[in-house]
Amino acid sequence: MIASSDDIIIKTIARIFVPFIQLYALYVIMHGHYSPGGGFQGGVILGASLALLLITHGYDEMKRKIPEGVIMLLGSVGVLIYAGIGLTCLLLGGNYLDYSQLSVILHVDPAHARSLGILGVELGVGFTVMAIMYSIFFDISTGGLLPGNEKRSGEWEDSE
Amino acid sequence: MNEFFVAIGLGMCILVFLVLYRVIFGPGVFNRIAAISAIGTKTLIILLILGYVYNRVDMFIDISMVYALLNFIGSIAAAKYLEMER
Repeated sequence: MIASSDDIIIKTIARIFVPFIQLYALYVIMHGHYSPGGGFQGGVILGASLALLLITHGYDEMKRKIPEGVIMLLGSVGVLIYAGIGLTCLLLGGNYLDYSQLSVILHVDPAHARSLGILGVELGVGFTVMAIMYSIFFDISTGGLLPGNEKRSGEWEDSE
Repeated sequence: MNEFFVAIGLGMCILVFLVLYRVIFGPGVFNRIAAISAIGTKTLIILLILGYVYNRVDMFIDISMVYALLNFIGSIAAAKYLEMER
């Protein structure tokens, strides 16, 4: 288990850096069709910012701030956005993920609808990748113990 | 101007191999962490030089910023691991 860092320099630097890292991740997601990046890469950067918080501020504080249920909810919402946009295109009479059909709902011409549809799909991918990356890191850092067994096993007090 | 950048990039590559010696044979873990961090910054510069050579600096700046960010987080994670070992 990761304990909170004693060093005030590390904690302060991490707290200052995390908003900028997340802003940069949003830039990578938004500019996915102009420059290198996209949903997956931006999601990984968002997950890296949360991993930085987990490393510096410790397991207990991060578990209180971002519970595992919220992380799983975010991951599911991302998949739902992706599948929802695809199914909406299907219901409007096109193929799955055929974004040009969205022009009926969004009231724009098909080219703009394609751009906006890809942006929405990439937002969904970014959410899911962030949640799953953070969840994997979180689970590995606990040493494989399930949340229900934390109090009973008492292994962590010994290993620290 | 292109040859200048290519020459500087090749020099950086040679420097990376010099630092790699410290990573492999370096006494102690702290030397290795510092050397890996130095390799990360050199890779960042090499990426930017590649961007100048290909005339696409705006693309390579994004990649190099991500590289610097992950290098920073990796250094902190390695230091944290050492702290837990103690």
